[in-house]
Amino acid sequence: MKRFLNEAALIAIAIPVVLWTVVPLYHLFVLAISPQDAVLAGTLWPEHPTFSNFLTVFRQQHYYLSNFWLQLGNSFLIAVTTGIATLFVATCAAFAISRLRAPGGRQVMNLALTTYLIPAAFLAVPMYKTMGSYGLLDTQTALILAMIALASPYAIWVLKQASDKLPRELDEAAIMDGASPLQIFRLVYLPLMRPSLVAIGIYALLLAWNEYLYAFLLLSSEKAAPLSVGLGLFLSADDSPWNLLMATGLIYAVPPAVIYYVFRNAMTSGLTAGAVKG
Amino acid sequence: MPKIDLRSLSAGCALALVLAAALPAQAEDTLTVWFTKGFYKGEDDALLALIDRYQKSTGVKVELSLYSTEDCIVKSVAAVEAGTPPDVGYCTTYDFRTTGQWAYEGKLEDVSDVINPIKDQFQPDALATTFLMNGKTGQKAYYAFPIERQTMHIFYWKDMLQDAGFSEADIPGTWNEYWDFWCDKVQGALRAKGKRIYGIGQPMSVAASDTFFSFLTWANAYNVKIVDESGKIVLDQPENRAAMIEAVKSYSSIFTRGCTPPSSVNWLDTDNNVNFHNKTTVLTDNATISIPGKHLDDSTNPSLTEEQRAQAKKNYEENIRTAYFPKKPDGGTLPNLAATKTAVIFADSKNKAQAKEFMAFMMKDENLTPFVEGSVGRWYPVTKSGAARPFWTDGTDPHRAVVSKQFTGGTVPFPFVYNYHFTTVNAENVWAKALNRVVQDGVSPDQAVDEMIARIKEIAG
Amino acid sequence: MTATTVHAIPAAARRSHRRTWTIWGAILLAPYVAVLLVLVAYPVGYGLYLGANPASYRRLFADPIFLTAAVNTILFLLIAVNVKMVIALGLSGFFAVPRWWIRLLLVLFILPWAVPSIPTILSFRVMLNPETGLINQQLFQLFDIFEGPPWLTDPWLAFFGAVVVHIWKSLPFWTLILLTGRLAIARDLYEAASVDGASRWQRFRFVTWPSVAALYVTSVILSTIWTLGDFNSVYLLTGGGPNDSTQVLATLGIRYLRNNALDLGVASIIVAMPLVLPLVFVMVKRLSKGGEA
Repeated sequence: MKRFLNEAALIAIAIPVVLWTVVPLYHLFVLAISPQDAVLAGTLWPEHPTFSNFLTVFRQQHYYLSNFWLQLGNSFLIAVTTGIATLFVATCAAFAISRLRAPGGRQVMNLALTTYLIPAAFLAVPMYKTMGSYGLLDTQTALILAMIALASPYAIWVLKQASDKLPRELDEAAIMDGASPLQIFRLVYLPLMRPSLVAIGIYALLLAWNEYLYAFLLLSSEKAAPLSVGLGLFLSADDSPWNLLMATGLIYAVPPAVIYYVFRNAMTSGLTAGAVKG
Repeated sequence: MPKIDLRSLSAGCALALVLAAALPAQAEDTLTVWFTKGFYKGEDDALLALIDRYQKSTGVKVELSLYSTEDCIVKSVAAVEAGTPPDVGYCTTYDFRTTGQWAYEGKLEDVSDVINPIKDQFQPDALATTFLMNGKTGQKAYYAFPIERQTMHIFYWKDMLQDAGFSEADIPGTWNEYWDFWCDKVQGALRAKGKRIYGIGQPMSVAASDTFFSFLTWANAYNVKIVDESGKIVLDQPENRAAMIEAVKSYSSIFTRGCTPPSSVNWLDTDNNVNFHNKTTVLTDNATISIPGKHLDDSTNPSLTEEQRAQAKKNYEENIRTAYFPKKPDGGTLPNLAATKTAVIFADSKNKAQAKEFMAFMMKDENLTPFVEGSVGRWYPVTKSGAARPFWTDGTDPHRAVVSKQFTGGTVPFPFVYNYHFTTVNAENVWAKALNRVVQDGVSPDQAVDEMIARIKEIAG
Repeated sequence: MTATTVHAIPAAARRSHRRTWTIWGAILLAPYVAVLLVLVAYPVGYGLYLGANPASYRRLFADPIFLTAAVNTILFLLIAVNVKMVIALGLSGFFAVPRWWIRLLLVLFILPWAVPSIPTILSFRVMLNPETGLINQQLFQLFDIFEGPPWLTDPWLAFFGAVVVHIWKSLPFWTLILLTGRLAIARDLYEAASVDGASRWQRFRFVTWPSVAALYVTSVILSTIWTLGDFNSVYLLTGGGPNDSTQVLATLGIRYLRNNALDLGVASIIVAMPLVLPLVFVMVKRLSKGGEA
């Protein structure tokens, strides 16, 4: 009896959790498959569900969708570049701080942490002016650089935590064999750090993919903008087709969801290592 | 690794230097032009065609950039501030946001020498909005080119009207009776049938430019004068203040009596259109005929079904009506509040002579008219000849016929034409704030108007 | 390999090896230092320079919207962070229960956090529309309620809407963090407690809580800082709310930017610094204490 009550209690918690999680996403899907004239009918399931909205998006058949594929490509480009670049910067820095005991390493680590902790939204306005003074405003470079600056601190932090767990003896053994720091980096460090590297690369990639505020501030020209900005432009449309907006949004939401699920285990262990001690 | 040949290296460097020196010289022959991306392909096509003709006839290269509405203005402002503006700029919100201020601050090139010879081809009302004050010289001159115009229209669903049991002949022509008709009679009848609709879509939101366009139109109905022709604020004068209080009361009463959707306080510019299209509201006002225009587009949209296209055609031709505002409370005809879209040449431009030639070329009928008509009725011409074209006057298109009659009946400009600070007043939407003070905070219209006047004086005094 | 092998390296070799390492250390650290200087220090410096004019602050404090935004921000922080963390703590207990279907549920539960904000928050926006949104339309169709609650048009409801959206988006992340903390607690502690006849509440109070308390506090501080910077929840749901009534500091800066009042935008951020910096300082200490190798 007690077991039954226990299970019942668990299910009683599970149901609201599922509803809470799923309803907004379900609604997103419903809007995406609603025909244009019924999109605001507020029904639980559209009377005439259709996939034509997706076709419209793919064929770029709307004023605000005229650069859809280009913008989708831009999102990929910016996300992947940010991921790789952040990985490069962070891995080098973490190796330098943790294994090589670089001079000033601890101070840089603390500065990185501080940067990580200041909310990105607060840096947005100064960053906008900064990119203006560098003459980079409205280029993909500006957004990528800003994303690297935002993603690196956490990346370095997590990688340093993970690096610290690697036994020192491995390094000493390599030195005994006459290895240079670069060789240790390539042959000892990187292979051992692979799970964390995957987690951090994905983290930076997703951060850049999902970014909206910096994207629309720094990169708004239609042909170079990522899809997140393109979605935002829909809101200024004179006929605001919510069904198309949601269909585009759904397409936009699929890559990060897929990536997250594929790399789920690496992500959770890699990322929680940063906040959980030990 | 091959050895680097020092001679070829230095030759390469010399060539690079020569090219680098030549490039600025070449830049003299390139014109940088920024335009708002057209809503219709026809607009962009016409623009590209005229640029092509210009390039062929003068040999000057034109570098054109097309931006979305908001982007265009943001970029232009940033470029002007950085001292690197394009040679020619045309954003459809320049007039609302920047033209007057730029003219005052001396950031625009005086183009009177281009306009004066062709003055007569323009409609006087349109041209007057580009005659602006330059704070540095203390004189007014022509600082912008009028390109196209817009004004407020009423739109309603004829089929919903009939569904409520009324015909168009039942619509009153006097101010208060008109709004009562839609609010009480039409809304009441449709609701009695169980429909969850609202009679009027009244923009109330601080975030929408529709709100101030709509509200200032109402203010004109009550004969409110905000500034005089020299830009001095006259709103605080007793009769204007009293009239403004009436206007605020009247406009907000549509909201307080439940005639407009409650979420109208949150509307973006698109939302009154959306609510009209999905028949949540029976009537709304809008500053272009983009509302029926959307259905015209849908009727030829390949991604819709045959049925949807046919319905859209029916909507455009029969169901949606473009109409005039009713008579003012005092019985007179409501003046049409019109905005003229302006193109400018920047004072910091490197190619002013060429820019002027380009604009003179564009102002020719054969160039300007296809551009304006490419918008399929969204924008109205600024030239007398453009207004006289069959496109507007032959009466085959019911919507354009109304637009044409409104414009030929005469227009009044926005306050910011006389006092550029009013672009800030509009950007802050001081008007919407007053309305929201009344409907959300429960403040009396008198107090709301006094707060409005105080804020306007702060900004524009 | 034992530790003694280390001492086998002759002293001179150790010194030159030290030097190489130091040089390489500096080289490998250089990319990030460049990032710090060019992309963090310069903007921050520029921001401080833009915010150096006292007149901006006078205008800022005179703006009634600033006061509203400041109050909203503090309320948002207090409510959103605490409600979220308490729920996260509770749910972490739920997800710690070993069942196959609960593990599956966890995978689903992460979705709000993994999926980008724009489509999801806009979905909320359409759903909560008082006239045409799903919720009020269903209320009308199922229960004949003509005017459902004014979700986005009443300032308070709109505010709580933004809080709910924020919690919806960030709850999975914190639940995961606390879950990881819970799972690190040794099973035998619980078994010992059960053997001693402890009730569920006592098990929580004497076994679970002491172990996760530090993590919980860290999470609350971190979440506070991040919630301060949550731009999307307010901007995409209400756009600042009916008549600028739901503005928070994060969205206020952008509003000033849009109205060409850049100095006010920067000033509004600098004004928040006395709240942010102490929290950041505390966090840095906590995190680096735990991270010292």
